[in-house]
Amino acid sequence: MTPNRVLPALALLALGLLWGLDLGAIQPNRIVPGTGHGLLSALGWPGAGLVTAVLVSIGALALAPLRHRYAIILVLVSLALALLPLAPELLASRHLPADAPYARSSLGAGFWCLLFLLCLMLVEAMGRLNAGRWLQLALLLFVAGSWLLLLQRDGLESLSLMREYNARPDKFSQALWTHLALAFGAVAISAVMAFALALKMIRTPGWQRPILGAVSFLQTIPSLAVFGLLIAPLSALSNAFPFLQSLGIRGIGWAPALLALIAYSLLPMVRNTFVALTEVPESLADAGRGMGMNERQLFLRLKLPLALPVMIEGVRITAIQAVGLTAVAALIGAGGFGAFIFQGLGQAAMDLVLLGALPTVALALAADALLTMLANSLRPAPLAS
Amino acid sequence: MRLWFSPLLLLTLLIGLSTAMPVLEPLFQWLQPDKQSVVYERESFLFLLQNHLTLVLVSAAVGTMLAVAGGIFATRPAGRDFLPLVNQVASIGQTFPPVAVLALAVPALGFGEAPIIVALILYGLLPILRNTLAGLEGISPAVTEAARGMGMSPLQVLVRAELPLAGRVILAGIRTSVTINIATAAIGSTIGARTLGDPVIAGLVNGNTAYVLQGAILIGLLALTTDSLFEALERAWERRFTPQFAN
Amino acid sequence: MIELKNVTRRFGKAVAVDHINLRIETGEVCVLVGSSGCGKSTTLRMINRLLPHTEGEILVDGEDITGMNPEQLRLNMGYVIQGTGLFPHWTVARNIAMVPELLKWPKERIDARVEELMTLLDLDPATHAGKYPQQLSGGQAQRVGVARALAADPNILLMDEPFGALDAITRDNLQMELLRIQKQVRKTTVFVTHDIDEALKLATRIAVMDQGRIVQHDTPENILRNPASEFVENLVGKQDRGLKLMSLRPVRQLMTAVSDAGRPDPGVESVGEDDSVRLALSVMVWQSASSVPVVNGKGEQTGVISRDRILQDGA
Repeated sequence: MTPNRVLPALALLALGLLWGLDLGAIQPNRIVPGTGHGLLSALGWPGAGLVTAVLVSIGALALAPLRHRYAIILVLVSLALALLPLAPELLASRHLPADAPYARSSLGAGFWCLLFLLCLMLVEAMGRLNAGRWLQLALLLFVAGSWLLLLQRDGLESLSLMREYNARPDKFSQALWTHLALAFGAVAISAVMAFALALKMIRTPGWQRPILGAVSFLQTIPSLAVFGLLIAPLSALSNAFPFLQSLGIRGIGWAPALLALIAYSLLPMVRNTFVALTEVPESLADAGRGMGMNERQLFLRLKLPLALPVMIEGVRITAIQAVGLTAVAALIGAGGFGAFIFQGLGQAAMDLVLLGALPTVALALAADALLTMLANSLRPAPLAS
Repeated sequence: MRLWFSPLLLLTLLIGLSTAMPVLEPLFQWLQPDKQSVVYERESFLFLLQNHLTLVLVSAAVGTMLAVAGGIFATRPAGRDFLPLVNQVASIGQTFPPVAVLALAVPALGFGEAPIIVALILYGLLPILRNTLAGLEGISPAVTEAARGMGMSPLQVLVRAELPLAGRVILAGIRTSVTINIATAAIGSTIGARTLGDPVIAGLVNGNTAYVLQGAILIGLLALTTDSLFEALERAWERRFTPQFAN
Repeated sequence: MIELKNVTRRFGKAVAVDHINLRIETGEVCVLVGSSGCGKSTTLRMINRLLPHTEGEILVDGEDITGMNPEQLRLNMGYVIQGTGLFPHWTVARNIAMVPELLKWPKERIDARVEELMTLLDLDPATHAGKYPQQLSGGQAQRVGVARALAADPNILLMDEPFGALDAITRDNLQMELLRIQKQVRKTTVFVTHDIDEALKLATRIAVMDQGRIVQHDTPENILRNPASEFVENLVGKQDRGLKLMSLRPVRQLMTAVSDAGRPDPGVESVGEDDSVRLALSVMVWQSASSVPVVNGKGEQTGVISRDRILQDGA
């Protein structure tokens, strides 16, 4: 049983950052920078001691020759992650002035570093335990559930992020729906288009180079440029055909955003679909045909099931990319979480930036996790044992 | 020589357009008759191009060094323990949208070029790291074993066998990274960096389509130039390191 | 019965199969043998119309296959290829059930048939039915391949180098298995191989192919005794022929019968009636004996075979 060097290294790094950086800050109002609070000042001796003890014991356990050390570490790390929101709550209760209605608490670099390093520890421990996807899902639900519960409490109301959210819950949910509709609408449309294009490329090999060339050309152009380049032709179109205007198609807004997102999504989608369908070994198709399958049966029973995981992988890449690009599309007035980001940047209101950026990241991670799981569950045949 | 033709052509076009944009004023006037100013003049395009490129090049250079060093460390016996974690981080990290990384850098580092450089380095490092690991791990053990068996030191094995063999994959990672960073640096205009994104943002704010167009065309050209440059580099690398069989 | 009349296949200008005539009787095993590129696989793939023929006629049971629906034609022909071609996303049972499923058999009948075939091919249904092809050894996978081909009880079996990718011992086992099964089911079989020993072992008739033509079509024994050309002579091995003929011959043909049916003393090496003469000779050479007892399936001695007799009449 070799000692694990990764976890102690991570724990040591976490301890250094945690004691060196600010865990959070108290601001008198939205714009004025606040006063930072380190670990000790934020949590007091008992809290700081507990956090330190947990990190030290994770590092020590990793070095100890215990049989179930990774399981114990996994439990410790997940508990620490699940209870992490208690730290800013404690900070607020200790330092927030009672008579200042605009005062707010915010999260500091120390908190983010701790969150990041705890996640790394979780990844490492799960990797060593060879955790299956159900355990991963269960832990994820446990941590997310505990966060939701803790955020419901009053203690975190002063958190700047919550303040920003509570100031505009309607706008937030509208941004969420816009973001989802744009990103996943683009993914769905491009999936259908890519499927058709890939089939065309298979039937007529002469089309392979032009189609792949065109979609990878589109992918090379930076998003801001594509959004920008679409404005002039689309506004010209909508000026020329008024009925387009009544549909909401203008130089700015959702129409150019959706078009650009589709254009971007085509490359990974077409490439994966094409590769997946053509990589089905010819010997298998030959066997199927020789047994009396017609081309339709071959496609539905052999090629499609074998290609599906790779195609879903294409959808995964595309979905992550589309979630990120939708945020950029806010620059041309498409809405979504990007609107909070750029509005916040314009007003120098960092908490508004966070309110846009964090959900964007969360959406991308969720899409990644869900589609990875879907692809894995569609891979029915286990590899040779 | 034919290899370098298209990057050179695109580069000439890029620099030419950046210098001679005011000459095209009548064209933009025709496109946008209702505006007084139709050519972006707050900064010269050449300056913006230069600044944009500097940001990307600095972050690519630093990112490449960090990523290749990290990749080499994680594949040596001393760093093997870290390999699974580094692998996971490289792939999960790429899930983060670049614009969100950029936005998150601002609260930590403030406005200006510092957060951009840091965001570009951190984000650009991931594809390079991933490809370095894939390239080094993809080398057949027979090759490294043979090299060691012939009496090469570990350093010689790395420099003479592993890096040349993994080079093309690493180069492809740098290409991905630079492509993403050109796009991210353009968005960096919103947090106070002077890049070719400036005219686009200014145009969007003022409803001036001509500005948007000028910025967008130059950003697109920059991306295409860089991409074709990498295409040529990859081909050249292939010629240099892939044996040509005599017929 | 399969008949090829003046069949030609061209790929562009290259002629892969050149005006061949071949008649394969019902229930016989016809082995097409030749070096790679001689057109043997092409010939096989024309029979189930995976490749169309350029000229000539191919008749199955008297009917021209060009007029038939290709899928219907293939459903009635088992097909086994090198590397098995098993579907990796289907279990062993589902792979075997492929053709019955295409033919829309009722589920109970399919299940019963799958179990029957797995037993026939010496695969335990309980342990192997739910496995995926990647979890099987090469030999087991090819057994599944053969079972799949036999599933809907086709009249014809087409086998394209089915054992080519297996190791020598596994290949030998599967050849014996195929002979055993063929005795039971009597399929009209077309078998392609480049291995002349495999051809001699399995064939009732061998068609030797070279450069798209059939240079000789005859029984294994006649191919060995009267090679039609130098090419065939080199293929079967000029000086090796005596031993090869001996391997075709069962001991029964050269033994002297012994009336009192006792058992040979334990410790004395014996050979079976159906073993080859070559094996008997090998035993005698090894033991420096001039004769060896012959036993029947029950282990009772039925005769004796002598070295002199073999040297006289063995080939």
